[in-house]
Formats: sequence, structure tokens, C-alpha cells
Amino acid sequence: MLGLLLASLVSGLAIGSPAAAKDKVVFHVGMLGEGVDSLNPFLGFQAPSYEMWGLTYDYLTGYTMKDMSPAPGLATKWTTSPDGKTWTFTVRSGVKFSDGVPLTAHDVAFTYDRILKKGSVEGTNWLSYLNGVTKVTAPNDATVVLTLKQPVATLPLLPIPIVPEHIWKNVSEKEVKTYKAEPTNGKPVVGSGPFRLVQGTADGSTFRFEANPDYWGGTPHIDEIDFQFYKNDDSAVQALIKGEIDFVEGITALEVKSLQSQSGITAHNGNSPGFDEIAFNTGSVSAAKGGHPIGNPNPAVLDPKFRHALGYALNLPQLIQKVYQGAGLPGTTIVPPVYDKYHWDPPSDQKFTYDLAKAGALLDAAGYTKGSDGQRTLPNGKPIGTLRLAARSDSPTSLNTMDYFKQWLSDLGIKSQVSTYSSSQLTDEIYQGNFDAFQWGWFVEPDPDSMLSYMTCGQRQGSSDSFYCNPQYDKLYQQQHIATDETQRTAEIKKMQEILYQDSPYLVTAYSSVGEAVRSDRFACLVPQPNPGGIWIEQYGVYNYIHMKPAADAGTCDAATSTAGDTLTGAVQATTGGSSSSSASTGFLIGAGVVILVLLVGGGVIAMRRRATAGDRE
Amino acid sequence: MTLVAEPGLVSAESEAQPRGHGYGSYVGRKVLGSLGSLLFMLLVNFFLFRVLPGDPARSLGRGRMTTDAQREAFNKAYGLSEPLPQQFLTFLKNTFTGDLGISLQYRIPVSELIRDRLWPTLLLVGTSTILATVIGVYLGIKGAWNRGSKFDNLSTGGSLILYSMPEWFLGLLFIATFGVGFWIFPGIFPTGGLHSPDVDPNSVQGVLDTMWHLVLPVTTLTLAYLADYLLIMRSSLLDELGEDYLQTARAKGLRDVQVRNRHAVRNAMLPTTTIIALNLGFVVSGAITVETVFSIPGLGLLTTEAIQVPDFWVLQGTFLIAATGVILANLAANLVYGWLDPRVRT
Repeated sequence: MLGLLLASLVSGLAIGSPAAAKDKVVFHVGMLGEGVDSLNPFLGFQAPSYEMWGLTYDYLTGYTMKDMSPAPGLATKWTTSPDGKTWTFTVRSGVKFSDGVPLTAHDVAFTYDRILKKGSVEGTNWLSYLNGVTKVTAPNDATVVLTLKQPVATLPLLPIPIVPEHIWKNVSEKEVKTYKAEPTNGKPVVGSGPFRLVQGTADGSTFRFEANPDYWGGTPHIDEIDFQFYKNDDSAVQALIKGEIDFVEGITALEVKSLQSQSGITAHNGNSPGFDEIAFNTGSVSAAKGGHPIGNPNPAVLDPKFRHALGYALNLPQLIQKVYQGAGLPGTTIVPPVYDKYHWDPPSDQKFTYDLAKAGALLDAAGYTKGSDGQRTLPNGKPIGTLRLAARSDSPTSLNTMDYFKQWLSDLGIKSQVSTYSSSQLTDEIYQGNFDAFQWGWFVEPDPDSMLSYMTCGQRQGSSDSFYCNPQYDKLYQQQHIATDETQRTAEIKKMQEILYQDSPYLVTAYSSVGEAVRSDRFACLVPQPNPGGIWIEQYGVYNYIHMKPAADAGTCDAATSTAGDTLTGAVQATTGGSSSSSASTGFLIGAGVVILVLLVGGGVIAMRRRATAGDRE
Repeated sequence: MTLVAEPGLVSAESEAQPRGHGYGSYVGRKVLGSLGSLLFMLLVNFFLFRVLPGDPARSLGRGRMTTDAQREAFNKAYGLSEPLPQQFLTFLKNTFTGDLGISLQYRIPVSELIRDRLWPTLLLVGTSTILATVIGVYLGIKGAWNRGSKFDNLSTGGSLILYSMPEWFLGLLFIATFGVGFWIFPGIFPTGGLHSPDVDPNSVQGVLDTMWHLVLPVTTLTLAYLADYLLIMRSSLLDELGEDYLQTARAKGLRDVQVRNRHAVRNAMLPTTTIIALNLGFVVSGAITVETVFSIPGLGLLTTEAIQVPDFWVLQGTFLIAATGVILANLAANLVYGWLDPRVRT
């Protein structure tokens, strides 16, 4: 306490001391939520890990900033055979790994081969992208050929980090499951990406990257990126205000609002490609027991008509306003509108509106009429009973959404009860079928194929959590999965969303957003993805780290030229007049001073006491 | 192992410690008892966490591992596909060879993970516990000796207020005032983290930087813990105040400070010793709230994160460390107690 008091007194002296001159441009990023779970690109699952790999490695193909459609990466161009079963990629020449060894098609083939090896750990994360690929070859240094057993519509999307064969061939199948791929003895991780990881370890909270001056996509305009992981959003926001960090990601809508009034800071809620939903138990079965029913769903939620009627009882605008603090959009289907091409927007005659009379009429028509007690009954006249709504205790959004849902159900004359579970507890309940409805959400990848697959019959007790099964839907899924004609595939994907909207295994409540804020008095030229309206970091790809600039040079953003002819708008503009912040080193000096002072004072006191009692100690 | 250890302890103790008739056998009994608890804990350890809900492959691989084949490959690689009895045998074998398994979440050996997280926790909680002990005991002695004085009221009241304040609130208060700055005072302390990303934590600069980062969290925890020691020390010293032997000591002509330190405090230390030893044992369990508020990657955070997965091997590892800490601290408390007060040896 004494030290703190002294600190605040002494800090007055700090004003005169000169800030240390900085020649390096360092971008300090504050991250929230889960940390980096592995720097080994074959092992990690968490979003921040993808950010780390994105800076360290390159990809055969990447994503555009505009709409996340496939864009050239290491592959400069690609061709498909007429039957769609052979893909030939031309690999960029002159690309070098950070240790000077050239990156060739052989490194690509090596990486993919490891993933394709049956039952391999490497496949746990990436196999989905090579679905249907039977063989990968590199006939020469500049060509990669993928052979497929049937056409796969998700190609050419291959967001798999390409690792150097000359390093990874020494990592055996047994070793790879604990191989760290971290900087050792001060040497950076070998990769070909725009930055090099020089410091950081998987479970750690700080990571330091240095720019790769020889990057094929152009030298980044910043010299270094420092990541600091925060476990608490208040501290991270305070650090941004203070200037310890230049960027914070994953903050709440209220924090965004308060930061918007700070000078020198630009904050927004970026549309992220995810949705939140109320999911129903549409018929839980055990996959192991050959489709034998398990669990105890309420008969009402098994009925698509019942579920569909509830869609008209959701006051989504109110939900967005109250639960999401206005940051988000009312939801419709499982393919978010940021994927403009694949998203099906329900026409006005089909779209759910908040209309309790209509919901009531639909329920009446389906046989769920009100009994003498004002509560609705099943078509067979028996009471519906109490619907069990599950919310996740670790998400305030989940709890609040289910509380509102309970209220809306009660307005319709349906009793329900909200129970809270931890996420892992709820997972267990879901796979045992012991629920009527729960709240959760998904992130949807730029190709909706995997999201669509979760609603197929084959995924029950796999990735499906609603146990939805509809042969017509499954047929369309298979068709679009192997479609070679993009127009036809888009139509099929839209039709699938329409079926889901009708059957309502999910009532999509909201398209989520991510709160982000940047010190625009220091950095500019951050471009949102999708453009416009999207997010600045944790994007698909690492465009902004390469193209962002110090605010001083902001007049010349190189946004417009770098992506396949798209015109990008809405880049963060540099702002001036930000509050001055004491540099870290100044604070450090004062701190050292305080520590010395405390030691001196403490030592003095002890010395005096010793002298005072010296007579007694004889 | 104990049979070998016991005679050694007996001879060492009986030579060094003339006070202790029977202290050797007392030590032997206590050590044996602790070993028993440790063994029991090892057995419980495995099954305790298996009742946790959740499937690691599902919670980690949500949206990434989309097929059963991928999940099976994951379970096979990380030892989850074997039947439970088989897993238990593997666990026993591995634990006795010092192998704590592979973390499901970070996919590195658990022993490495715990080693990485142990020192931030030791620095944070260890320093705070020692500071709180020293300051708390000192304030408790001063307060009790001058019971009802302004100093006594102020220190007891103040520490109780801090004690009743949630740690995270106190932490955030410090961040907002001394981290960010208020009024005309600039914030000079970092708002979070163990060290700055751009320093090497093993250099001199890095060590100083880490110390600098720990000022606010350590202060928070110290203030929060203070009342524990202060109150125990104060009340046990108050119990001694009316005793005759203090009168005798005064009659001998000893100064007030000597009466306090050499006679009263020595007797009043007994209950405080127990508290100190037990709390030292809890140091390795971490301090979840303060670690969260200040984003310090310690054992407390590791454990909370592991529960969500659930990361069985990490939970077993941290539980082993925490339980061993408490058992050892308990043993130490018993031994010190037995040494200070011969009456408990029977």
C-alpha cells in the first residue's frame, strides 16, 4: 500500500522524462477468450491458433476480403478436368521458407499426404478439406495434382497451412501428436508466411512475430506484432485506453459504445460469419443401436408444424436490442448473410414475423388447441406438459435468450422451464437426447458444406445436435456436395435452407457480431472482411497484418490493389489528437524508483528499530 | 520406503532436539499417515474427474472434427479410446514413472504444462501469502497488545473491509486507478499479463518487468488475505494477555516489547502456525479470480480451463500437485506443532 501511495506521488515527476525513441513499428494486439492451444498446425483447434499459423505459414488458396470466396495463395492458378475428378494447381515460384530453402509443390504434397494418412492425428483438423481426395502428387516443383474419387464442390478452397517437408519429415507419426512447432533456442519457426514467430509457446499468454522482409506478397508495413492474451475484457479495454495495446478483439457491444467516444480509438461491431439458434430435439436416436430412439423428447417438439409455429412467437428485434445490445442482426437461416452468394433470404410471405395471433392460429390448425386451463394440449388431447429449455451457464446471451423464449412460449399458452448447464454438461445431455430445446451457436465457414452436413441424417450423434433427418434434404446435400456447376449448386444450397426453415429444427435467432477496437491514432488501413461490415482481425487470412500501416503514413493505404480487382471500402482511417500515453519504459523507470525508495525507507526503519532495541539484545 | 526413512528421522531428531522425548515416533506416525493420504488421493484422482460431464473430442473439435473417423483418430492418439480399467492401469503405471500424460487441450506433456504454469502461481500466490503473513501477524500483534487503540480499530476494521471485498473487484479497482490512472495521476502499472511480450522473461530486464507486472496482483491478493492472519494472531494473543506468566515476566523487569515477543507471542503463535502452513499448501492451487482479472497464466486458470474441456490428464496433474501441497503443508504443520507444543505428541 505504501508503495502504491508513493507511486502515485512520484508519478507526477514522470511528465518531464523523455519517452524512449522507437524505431520499430510494433502492433500490440490484445486477445480475449480462448488462447492458442497449439502452434503445431496439425493439432490446434482454437481460432487464435489459426491466426498464429496464418502469420507463419502459407496456403495453396486463400480467401478474398470482399466475400471470402477462394483467392490465389501459393497457387497462382488452377484447372479442373472435365469430369471434375482431377485438380491441377500451379504453385508460385520463388517462394522461400524462413531458413532459405525454397517452397515447392513437393512441400504441398507432403503436407496433404500426412493429412490423408488414414487415422492420422494430422487428419483430425484438416481432413474435411481434402474430403474425397484419393491421391496428391507433385509431378514437378511447380505443379500439384489432386485426384478425387468424385467431384467435390468445396474445392479449390484449401486453407491448410503448408509446412516445410525438410523439417517435418523428421517428425514421426508418433512424435507429431505432441510436436510443438515452437521457436527453439531463439530460432523462429520455419515457415513461408508474412511473419515469423520468434517468441511464444502454446499455453502461454504472449506471442511475438517479426515481419518477413522477403515475403512474396510484399513486405509488411509493420515490423513486429505482439499478442497479449487477456482473460478479462475490462482489463483489456483499460489497456487499450491506456495505450498498452493497439487493438482489442472480442469485447462487448457496451464496451464498443463507450470506446467510440474516446478520441484516438475507432471501435465497431463487425459482422462475423456465425449464428445463434434455439435448437429442438427433432427425434433423438442412437447411431450405435441402428437408429433406435433414445432420450425423452416432448412429443410436441418432434412435430415440424409445432416448431415452425413457434417461429412466429419470437420477437427477434427485441432480442437483438436487449440481449445483444443492438450488435447483431435478426437471424433466418443457417447460412449467414455475410455469405451473400449462398444465403437464402426467406421471401416476405414465408418469413417469420413477431405475430402471436399467427403462431396461435398455426398451433390450433396443427391440433395444439388450448384446453380449459388456457394451456395448449397435444393433438391427442393430452397436456403438453413443461418443455425443458436448456441454456449454457457460461454464456449470458444463452441464458437471456432462453428466458425470453420461456416468456414467449408462455404467451402462447405453453409451459416451459429453463435449466442451465455448463457447455460440456449440455453436450452430454444433448447426445443422450434428454432435452426439448437448447440455445447454442455455430461459426460457418466460407463454404457452407460442413454446416449443411450437420443437418443430415448421417450426422445424428455425430456433429448433429438436433437429430434432424430428412431424406429430401440429404439428397440435396449429396447433390450439391459433388456439383460441378456453381449455379446449380447455389440453387440447391438455397433450397436446403428453405427446407430447414420450414421444418425448423433450428430457429435461428441472431447473426452475431464481434466487438473490436483499434488505436486509430497509431494504426490505419485495417480493412473489414467481408467488405463492408465485417471484422478486422481473426479473419479468414491475415490480409490486415500485411497491409495495415502506421497512422503517420495512412494517406497511402494499399487496399484497393491487392485483392483480385475488388474495390475495398471502409478501411480504418487514421485519427489524430489521441490522448498521449506514457510509454512503458517511463512507467518502468518510475516503478524501479519506487521500489528502491520503498527498500530504502524500509531498510531505514529496520535499522532504527535495531538501534532502539540494541540495549536489550546484549 | 517409510521403514527406511523412519529410523533416520528418529536418530536425527533425537540428537538435534533434546526437548523431544517421543518426537521421533511422532514424526514417524505423521509421515506414515501423510503417505497413506497421498496414496488414497492417487486412486481417487483418476475416477474423480471421469464423472465430469462432456466429451473432450466434441468440445475441442466442435465444427473442426466433423466426422466420427476424425474423432476416433483423436481419441486413439490421446489415450481416450481404451476401456476405462485399461486407462486406469496406464494412469497408475505412468504416474509412478513420473509421466502425467498428454494434455488434451494443448497436446503437450502435462508435466511440462504444469511446470510452465507453476512459477507464475508461485510468484503471485507465494509472494502474497508470505507478505500477508508477515504484515498480518505484525498488525495482529500490535493490535492485540494495544487492544482498543486507534491503531487496533483501524487495522482490524480496514483489513475486514478488504477481506469482505471480492478479490476481482479490488483487482479491477487497482487496474482502473493505478493501471490506467485517475485525475492527474497517470497509470504507471501494467493492466495485466505476467510480462511484456517484447522482453525475454529470462533476462534481467525481463525479471524486473515481471516484478513490475506483479505489483498490482500481489497487492490485491495480499490485502485480501491480510485479515486471515491478522484476526487469528490478534485473538490468540488476546487469549494470552491475562496469563500469570506474563505478570511474572514483567515482574522480572523485562521491557514491554520483550514480554510481548519472547513470552506472549511465542505461545500465541500456535494457531497461527497451523493457518500459515495450511495456506502455504494451498499456494500451488493458484488463485483463480486474481489470475483471471490480471490475466496471469497460473495453475488456477489452467485448472478452470481444463474443467470446461474436460482435460482429464491436466485435471489429474493439477489435483495431484494441489493435494500433495496440502498434504505436505499439513505434515509440516503437524511437525512444527509437535515441536512447539509437546502435549500434542501423544
